[in-house]
Amino acid sequence: MGQNEQIHRGKVIIDTDPGIDDSMTILTAFEAPSVEIIGLTTIFGNVSTENATRNALLLCERAGHPEVPVAEGSPEPLKGGEPLIADFVHGSDGLGNLFLPAPTTKKVEETAAEFMVNRVSQFPGEVSVLALGPLTNVALAIKRDPSFASKVKKIVVLGGAFFVAGNVNPAAEANILGDPEAADIVFTSGADIVVVGINITTQVYFTDEDLLELRNSKGKHAQFICDMCKFYRDWHAESDGFHGIFLHDPVSFTALVHPEYFTYKKGVVRVETQGICTGHTLMDQGLKKWNSENPWSGYKQISVAWTVDVPKVLAFLKNLLMAL
Amino acid sequence: MAASAVKPGEEKKKVIIDTDPGIDDAMAIFVALRSPELELLGLTTIFGNVYTTLATRNALHLLEAVGRSDIPVAEGSHVTIKKATKLRIASFVHGSDGLGNQNFPPPTGKPVEQSAATFLVEQANLYPGQVTVVALGPLTNLALAIELDPSFPEKIGQIVILGGAYSVNGNVNPAAEANIFGDPEAADIVFTSGADVLAVGINITHQVVLSDADMKKLEQSDSKYARYLCKILGLYFNYHKDAYFTKGVYLHDPATLVAAVNPSLMTYTEGVVRVQTVGITRGLTVFDNTKKRYGEITAWSDKPTVKVAVTVDAPAVVEMIMQRLMMDD
Repeated sequence: MGQNEQIHRGKVIIDTDPGIDDSMTILTAFEAPSVEIIGLTTIFGNVSTENATRNALLLCERAGHPEVPVAEGSPEPLKGGEPLIADFVHGSDGLGNLFLPAPTTKKVEETAAEFMVNRVSQFPGEVSVLALGPLTNVALAIKRDPSFASKVKKIVVLGGAFFVAGNVNPAAEANILGDPEAADIVFTSGADIVVVGINITTQVYFTDEDLLELRNSKGKHAQFICDMCKFYRDWHAESDGFHGIFLHDPVSFTALVHPEYFTYKKGVVRVETQGICTGHTLMDQGLKKWNSENPWSGYKQISVAWTVDVPKVLAFLKNLLMAL
Repeated sequence: MAASAVKPGEEKKKVIIDTDPGIDDAMAIFVALRSPELELLGLTTIFGNVYTTLATRNALHLLEAVGRSDIPVAEGSHVTIKKATKLRIASFVHGSDGLGNQNFPPPTGKPVEQSAATFLVEQANLYPGQVTVVALGPLTNLALAIELDPSFPEKIGQIVILGGAYSVNGNVNPAAEANIFGDPEAADIVFTSGADVLAVGINITHQVVLSDADMKKLEQSDSKYARYLCKILGLYFNYHKDAYFTKGVYLHDPATLVAAVNPSLMTYTEGVVRVQTVGITRGLTVFDNTKKRYGEITAWSDKPTVKVAVTVDAPAVVEMIMQRLMMDD
């Protein structure tokens, strides 16, 4: 790592609902030399927003970065009501039922949306957002500051199921279904957006052998991550008949720091907010000249991850996870 | 084509084509008439490429044009299953007359007295388990048949549907394929009815292309079917060049007809298909074809499965269509 690259570490806000694979991602991101995590913002999803905040604080402490601010996000989706919580995937504490003691640090006063708007305004064109949960906070930031979309450097979203079945139901992926209205606002905001859907992330997984390799490694957080992953792994066996874990969040992080490990297709993406297909992400691939205006007309295209170099992503992640 | 030829004494497959002619509908009807494996029991008409009244007129005209006015035509619904009258009519694809703006003379025959739905129910009762419906337009008539006779799904042999866009963009908008978009509520009724449904979507039919070279061959054929079709295909070619940047046309309806004649030219997977009826993705077909066990009950849970075509031997399908159309009487 040359000195120049040290100086130009990219500023990143991670919007997160930790969450087992979120935790993996956060701990990994703190080890990655090319990024500077300037804050975590929290959202419901794998856990309630309140628990996400607690877990985010715990993770910063564990990573040796208690100084990194954690801003709490919205407790509910834009339209209100009870959020969808995937505690059956991540355990009731969101961290594989390890029931860790309470954090010693506290969240900041700003809300997640305020924090995003303030940091992005402070460093226009320099801050990227890695969004690992429902997009409520990002949508609130866009609503709060109309210039947010043009000032944010890039938003990398883990979400959606492009031309494949969803993971909550055949139409929808969990993060998008968590707040479909917010996702539609973000995707059509005009910001520079990269979306990594489960069509990509389910190609990248740790098998039981990989998890064993991790446990036997000298990685700083290897034991903790493996302890956490046990619950997650058992859920995958039940739900997908698959002995291992999908690396949804870590793969999205990889797309932020190593975009060259992926190929992309550009197109307008809209999110269905009604009916049995609520949460469905639908991309216009641009293969046809439409005869008339449709709900996809006139919006800025975003980048949808289309293929992934699985060995390279795995090597990158293992390298960080097993680093001393 | 020995494998698909009908041996003496072997039963022909009884077929009703539900259709909105339509240039590629005309082609499918002709292929059906030229297929010794099939016995065409009748045509039922529906809106889509044209309004239902014109679909009926064109169905009668097409049969008369090739001397087959012995085949009955039953007129179908003029409105969707929800009684909507604001229909999407694809005249920009097929011409304002549905047949390439050729100003053909009006037909001399008339449709039968029965409605399409009544005709479908009656034929299904007459030949239980033996009738195949090839549905080439919006599924309103079939949904009405199911409403009319709840045992229709069991009595009908198979429903081969041209409809949907499975894991690809639609052709009306990014979400929806034209036939499903024409009456999404009806489509959802048919897909979840429990009938033996085989769906052929545009993910398949966009692979089945009649090229300029194929068109030249058709033009050189003496067959009256080929000669007729060459007159009406020009407009269809122009539309494809403009909308899809392709030289050649998609054979949606004939390819679906071929699936009824020789199912082995495609492969299928089985799963539940639901149709989105509201929102920006109205008309979207979502196929649950994974082995994933969802945590909660979904709109796809416990619904009857259907077969969806996933691969096609496109050259063989085009060859079969060409061969049937160029064959002399």
